Amino acid sequence: MNLETKRIVLVNSSPKLTEESTSGLLNNLAAKQIKTAGLEIYRINVRQSLFQGKTENDFEAMLDADAMVLTFPLYVFCLPGILMRFLQDYYTFWLKQQDRVKNARVYAIVNCGFPEARINLEAVRVIQCFSRKINSIFRFGVMIGGGGMLQGAKDTPFMRKTFSQLENAFQLTMDDILNCGQAVMDNIMITMNFPKKLYFFMGNRGWYSTAKKNGLKRKDLYRKPYFQENVNL
Amino acid sequence: MQALIISDKEYQTEAFHQLNQLVNSFLIRKGFSLTETQIDRRDPAFCMGCFGCWVKKPGECVIDDKMGQINQIFMNSELTLYLSPVVFGQFSANIKNTLDRWIPNILPFFETRPDGSTMHPARYSSYPKQIIIGYGEELSDDETSLFLDITMKHRRKVEVLLYQGDDMEITETLSEIELRKVGVNL
Ligand SMILES: Cc1cc2nc3c(=O)[nH]c(=O)nc-3n(C[C@H](O)[C@H](O)[C@H](O)COP(=O)(O)O)c2cc1C
Repeated sequence: MNLETKRIVLVNSSPKLTEESTSGLLNNLAAKQIKTAGLEIYRINVRQSLFQGKTENDFEAMLDADAMVLTFPLYVFCLPGILMRFLQDYYTFWLKQQDRVKNARVYAIVNCGFPEARINLEAVRVIQCFSRKINSIFRFGVMIGGGGMLQGAKDTPFMRKTFSQLENAFQLTMDDILNCGQAVMDNIMITMNFPKKLYFFMGNRGWYSTAKKNGLKRKDLYRKPYFQENVNL
Repeated sequence: MQALIISDKEYQTEAFHQLNQLVNSFLIRKGFSLTETQIDRRDPAFCMGCFGCWVKKPGECVIDDKMGQINQIFMNSELTLYLSPVVFGQFSANIKNTLDRWIPNILPFFETRPDGSTMHPARYSSYPKQIIIGYGEELSDDETSLFLDITMKHRRKVEVLLYQGDDMEITETLSEIELRKVGVNL
């Protein structure tokens, strides 16, 4: 084991403004384990970084990192626009600093709303592609299906298995960082231990009840504001 | 016949201009009237993941900016073309943002497609044909195959083409695509 303290940059890339995000929850879980292992953490929130003028410091931290963990939600089957903005800007910064390159190791933690964990694969491949561009070493991704349940049902007994799978995945990540793992690693897939039909049922009911709280009727959810007849082009 | 062309203001490369001109004249020849919109760094704003477009103001984003107009024109076009730089094998940030902010046009519910995968149902009974053309210089095979997979593996009725300077190839492929509205299999 390499005893020199490793520096890990943990990037939360949920585009959410204030609401608690699943990515934030995942990063908190990972951070706890990283701290226990005695590694140094630098945390970034992509939205805050971009809009509160923190990119310069954050990019410096990324450049100096031994490992980067990018946590984000799947948006239309790939990376959210806001994360692409952050990575594109980092790449521009990196191009001017290439002499300081440290060949960080890169990991992706992707969660999506649909139950299928495998649909996160293309997003993981984008991170792999990005890592290659910045001469970094992409290691593996953790792909999580039904991500909304991590928050919604976190204290229920059927989520225990999922949380212990997550813990194992983060442990593997940490060991990989500490041991400078070389072996080819598969991506890790985590699916909720919950029937899909029930997940859909509850999800759909959730939309109706949230809409109701917002003063809408059931049929309002089906509005067609851009229907041809309403429009004068 | 209305066609909408969405492009990235940040990547106005030579290849882009060539592609844009090619696509413009092709569509005009086919009798389309064109609306073009170029997406910039902070206009429109980034999606905030609030789902307000589903449960607060169904069908419309709660952010009042250029994207409302783009979605309105989108829904009333026969055809929408995205001219996207290929960045890390994906859409560029600006183009991706318009795709994120497209979700007001679908419903929140879950449904299972015939192949067992999950999707949201359509909000409208028809949609413009969507064609994505990725462009870039010296793209690796990994990047081009990823760019195709992102859409082809997960969405139906959306075409993806790659432009790396071969005008003929684009014109020929476009000629083979039916350039009119499609149904609800998103
Ligand atoms: C614009 C938008 C696009 C989305 N696209 C997908 C998608 O393609 N597939 C999917 O399973 N979930 C999709 N989701 C759902 C999110 O991935 C899911 O809600 C996730 O748990 C959010 O994580 P966060 O709280 O970290 O932001 C989308 C959500 C938004 C707002």
